[in-house]
Amino acid sequence: MTATTNPAGERGPQPCSRRPAWLTPGLLRDRTVLLLVLVVVLVVVVTVLDAVGLTSGRFTTDYLAAALIGYVPLALLALAELFVITSGRGGIDLSVGSMVSLTGVVFGMLFQQQGLPLVVSIVLAVAFGALLGAVNGVITAYFGFPALITTLATYYAYRSIALVISDQKPISGPEISEFYGAAKSVELPLIGHLVPLVPLGVFTFLLPVAVLAWFVLNRTTYGRKLYAIGTNDTAALWSGIETRRTRMLAYVTAGAVSGLVGVYTVAQFASARPDAGTSGSGMALPAITIAVLGGVAITGGIGRLSGILLSALLIVWLNASILLVVPGNEGAQAQLLALGVVLLGASLLSNATIRRRQAGGSGRREVPGSVSGTAT
Amino acid sequence: MTVTDARAPEEVSLRRILPPVVTGQEVVLLAVLAVLWVLLGIFTPAFLTAGSIGPLLVQVAPIALIGVGMTFVIITAGIDVSVAGMIMVCAVVTARTLVGADVPAVVAVALAVALGAVLGSVNGLLIAYGRVHPIIITFGTANVFTWLGLRVFDSSTVNNIPGTLSFLGRGAAGSTLGVPHSFALTLVAVAVAWWFLRYTRAGRNLYAIGGNQNAARLAGIKVQPRLVSVYLVTGALAGLAACMIIATGTSTLDQSVGAGKELQVIAAVVIGGTSILGGRGSVVGTLLGALLVQTVVSGVTQLGWPTQLGFLFVGVFILVAVGTDLIRERARRRA
Repeated sequence: MTATTNPAGERGPQPCSRRPAWLTPGLLRDRTVLLLVLVVVLVVVVTVLDAVGLTSGRFTTDYLAAALIGYVPLALLALAELFVITSGRGGIDLSVGSMVSLTGVVFGMLFQQQGLPLVVSIVLAVAFGALLGAVNGVITAYFGFPALITTLATYYAYRSIALVISDQKPISGPEISEFYGAAKSVELPLIGHLVPLVPLGVFTFLLPVAVLAWFVLNRTTYGRKLYAIGTNDTAALWSGIETRRTRMLAYVTAGAVSGLVGVYTVAQFASARPDAGTSGSGMALPAITIAVLGGVAITGGIGRLSGILLSALLIVWLNASILLVVPGNEGAQAQLLALGVVLLGASLLSNATIRRRQAGGSGRREVPGSVSGTAT
Repeated sequence: MTVTDARAPEEVSLRRILPPVVTGQEVVLLAVLAVLWVLLGIFTPAFLTAGSIGPLLVQVAPIALIGVGMTFVIITAGIDVSVAGMIMVCAVVTARTLVGADVPAVVAVALAVALGAVLGSVNGLLIAYGRVHPIIITFGTANVFTWLGLRVFDSSTVNNIPGTLSFLGRGAAGSTLGVPHSFALTLVAVAVAWWFLRYTRAGRNLYAIGGNQNAARLAGIKVQPRLVSVYLVTGALAGLAACMIIATGTSTLDQSVGAGKELQVIAAVVIGGTSILGGRGSVVGTLLGALLVQTVVSGVTQLGWPTQLGFLFVGVFILVAVGTDLIRERARRRA
């Protein structure tokens, strides 16, 4: 809640006198720049390692492009968390993984067992996800439950329903196997021979949702209301914003996006697995981690789509690079270490810069969100 | 610090009848638990036998034990989602030590507890002095701890663990007069924690920190050392719980140890009536919450329903428990 610690009414950027000007403003203050630098550093370092022969495989653009198949669900779920966490009042969604499992199973049932057309099945699965999100939203926004409690409860409930209705068996069949094509790599038309093969899911799933989400967050009144209720719920209420409805819609969005990820995982695994989003430590915890790494403030009101997309890219490519440098099982384990260290480092670092800025008395009050030009 | 003072009139009268240990959420939980046990006793004759209750208590013990530490953490308005990682590290290190060197049980338990305390204090130091939200720090450390645990596992299971810790297990060696030692140990921990939270200055300070951290600091409470201590205690208890988990398992320990435990513990704490927003809660409620969760999960299995259905009820119980607490909280404010 930087809003409460900064004295209101400060205008315009003031020079930060305590640190060299080139250090604080760009690299450390802006999470997007920091992430971009990290991505570039990563690619350069691994390219050098590749050149001196320390990697087990070739670090090529094709390899990086192929790694994007795991980018789609991660980025989408982090985007879902962006909406929910930004809505404030302790907003968080632990149930996204369970919603992925459940909608995946429902999609499998509709598409494979009921034989509905693909488009109808996808629309129904996403609508079902939105319904699951609406349950979270109503309980949290209208009944006033803490989001952590609501989504912990629905995490258990949805996961349980997914396993029970599917009898704990994955749903697969010829139609679903064919649908696998939705996730595999393709050559782009026109410029395809110039760039590496990119997984189709990036264009069919991620890109439309990202564009839509960017538009909603930055160019609609709903987006501005979302940042408003996340920054100060009471102030937003007194300005005539229907805070409950706005908050509920954030959870509905998270549910719908999870539904889409559910469909995507069916394509990715070529079967509807009832534990797709909940096996191991689940999908929710990485999604929240990516969102926080992308600069979403856990207290609400602050967060950008660009941060989410970059932090998911950083993690996916970091994981792919680790597998090249540290082969086998050890590499898979080192991915955990990398995720943990990057998250701890980024959050401690950004916290230190915020505090230093406040201590230096040069608290430029940034308008949350990414509308450029309105920051001052 | 208004926890005990700002009660609605009807609850004050309730407090005169009942000892202070069982007011509010605890009474409701006890009633629900009693009803469930009676119903399960009627529908599944095997449920209320010693052969069924004993294992139930053994399974509750580690969850309730860590729940004690987690209650402290949540009372200070924090949260710890790295519990599963801490259990994994403590369990695998202890198991490897037991296999490698034939150490006595006391040394093994001390090792696990000390290791857990170290991991917990890492959480505590980062949260108290880094001033980052606890959920972010513990998400980060959860990944690091899991990595650490997997490294010690070294891509294989730990086999042929000797029965050194069997006094904490579920067999005949693990209980006296039908009471499992692990559960008795948990009861002792709950009793000590109850006394600590209610009658010591340090315990009351935790409620103050959870109620309003800035106010607590201005009132002269050393907030940061207190915060470090609650995460340290949670870690140490996770270490002890890891010993129980080794003891109740087979002689083989695999990499799934601890998985999902963090959410189970949090579920037990919130069902027990501890406010996730901090400043309110009790360890007795946590114990009852853990009992309730395990009763539901075991009961569903014994009724012959799909095991996974149990977790649907766990979810519903979380909502109902917190819902009734919210309603009472509002009534309390209105009164």
